[in-house]
Amino acid sequence: MNSWLHPALFFFLGSLLLPFFQGKARKAILLLIPVLAIIAVATAEQGIYGQYRFLNVDGVFGRVDKLSLIFAWVFTIMAFLGALYALHKEESGHHIAGFLYVGSSLGAIFAGDYFTLFIFWEIMAFSSVFLIWYRRTKKSLDAGFRYLLVHVFGGLLFFTGMMLYYYKTGSFAFEGIAPGNAGLAEYLILWGFALNAAVLPLHAWLPDAYPEATVEGAVFLCAFTTKTAVYVLARGFAGFEVLAIMGTAMTVFGVCYAVIENDIRRVLAYHIISQVGYMVAGIGIGTHLALNGAAAHAFAHILYKALLFMGAGAVLYMTGTAKLTQLGGLFKTMPLTMIFYIVGAVSIAGFPLFSGFVSKSMIVAAAHQEGRLWLMNLLNLAGIGTFLSVGLKVTYFAFFGKGEPVTAKEPPSNMLWAMGITSLLCLVIGVYPDSLYILLPFASDYRPYNLHHLSEALQILSFTGLVFFLLLSKLGPEEKINLDVDYFYRKAVSFFLKFDDKVIAVFDDLWGELYRTLGLRALFKSAEMSYGFDRKAIDGIVDGSAASTVKLGATVRGLQTGRIQTYIALSLVIFFVVVLLFAVV
Amino acid sequence: MKLAHTIETLRSNLKTLKRVMIVFLAVLVVFDLLLSREDAHFLIDKIYAYWAIFGTIGCFVLIKFSKGIAHMFLGKDEDFYE
Repeated sequence: MNSWLHPALFFFLGSLLLPFFQGKARKAILLLIPVLAIIAVATAEQGIYGQYRFLNVDGVFGRVDKLSLIFAWVFTIMAFLGALYALHKEESGHHIAGFLYVGSSLGAIFAGDYFTLFIFWEIMAFSSVFLIWYRRTKKSLDAGFRYLLVHVFGGLLFFTGMMLYYYKTGSFAFEGIAPGNAGLAEYLILWGFALNAAVLPLHAWLPDAYPEATVEGAVFLCAFTTKTAVYVLARGFAGFEVLAIMGTAMTVFGVCYAVIENDIRRVLAYHIISQVGYMVAGIGIGTHLALNGAAAHAFAHILYKALLFMGAGAVLYMTGTAKLTQLGGLFKTMPLTMIFYIVGAVSIAGFPLFSGFVSKSMIVAAAHQEGRLWLMNLLNLAGIGTFLSVGLKVTYFAFFGKGEPVTAKEPPSNMLWAMGITSLLCLVIGVYPDSLYILLPFASDYRPYNLHHLSEALQILSFTGLVFFLLLSKLGPEEKINLDVDYFYRKAVSFFLKFDDKVIAVFDDLWGELYRTLGLRALFKSAEMSYGFDRKAIDGIVDGSAASTVKLGATVRGLQTGRIQTYIALSLVIFFVVVLLFAVV
Repeated sequence: MKLAHTIETLRSNLKTLKRVMIVFLAVLVVFDLLLSREDAHFLIDKIYAYWAIFGTIGCFVLIKFSKGIAHMFLGKDEDFYE
């Protein structure tokens, strides 16, 4: 068997090293680990690696082919940019969570079977939530718990589907499913995946959680969860009509909210739904051009959306707010941040010479080629909304508008460098599309730079700009939040809490009183008796074993640091060791 | 700051800026009129300046629709859930 180093290994090992280093050494590790992972991806040869057998399940750690490699490329590049952006962050726990999150995402995209995929899928959810909690506000704590609950629900859908699938086929192999053969098991898996891709109506966790994350954490979050989901959908469910329709609906839904939201990071979060919608629609259309488009768009999107989150994060970091109603005039004090943000904005809007132009258009062209004109028009409508919300509205009201924030200057240099490099990548992909197309899963002769496409894109963008300035007075941001379907579960929780307070608590009090007066007295008496029996009889028989247990307990206690990151890292290592042992045997 | 200065200059010459933009829009439409329609498969490929019309109406509808439902029932005070 030829050898291959799983890029996820670097991140898992790195997360174990991080707590022991400070200052420059830690910064070096933070940058070195992603670089090593990029090298591992660059030198990877296609094939099947790391097969193992565990509890009668055939697992595959490394299915390396063109589809998994293109995602691995962008994940590792993004890990480097994200680490650079977060370099100033003091808390090592934040970096550990980031590394575990990236590592498990890489684990998920190389997984060749549902069992392995599920393990990494869950680690992703449980590590990423720390990027929200490290914000250390009440809001982020609550949002993190909701995030976790929703993802546990999605994990359960996936798990149930996976078990039914095993029952049906006798295998956990993760292969493409033909739409005609799909039953309950396959659709449960599909919806489990779809939840992570924020497909309607399972999308509300995303705009609920991401805007509450840390400045640096949001940059990681916006890249990995949804795009891992795009990968598994592309792998398993290409050509499913429901995805074509829901994906297109997502594109329009996301921009409608992006037009009305006030907080820049909420605008961007809703806009992720819209962008992932393009990819999901491409997967649903299912032709080679469409699937190429989904993969290319995922690649380009990770970079420019991260760039936008970096820009918004820099504004939040330096001014203390990301609300458009409280911002304005930043072009004077944060010109570099503005330039980088605008590069992200024109990339996402699909201006010629920027990355969105060469990736999004593949999906639109695929819809056109298949004669799906409704889809094509709606996708282009979402394109209008993209430029309108992320491009024009945010740029205008944050950087040019009337307000004047109290304190503002450019963010730390590591943030600027991260934004600069990301901007450069967006431009390189836009100018040399072949640098991206070479990684695509299927052979393609698609050429984005032709006169018709140029004319189409420039007309849409320019006339959107015209209407924006005509209706500028109607577009002012407002100090509001907008309801979404999370309303139902958030209100259900507060209803339950009230019910708990009024009904259950009263009953509980009554029961407690009864127990205290009647039960406790009898319990004390019996406890006294059994204690005497235990000391005199039992410990006499097993002589001294109690004492040695106490000693062992003291040793184990040393391992229990009370830090949940350590536990996750420790259990991961144990998991790997166990699996490797089984693989060898 | 050179950039800030440039932006200020543009701001004080809004009228000229507007004229330039309008000429640009017109050029785009003329450019589309000159493109060949021989390979057109579908009706929308044949309509002249289809995407200019689409962009104008689409953007208008998006703004009106989104702001409309936000004002009707989606928009709530920021402490709504607290």
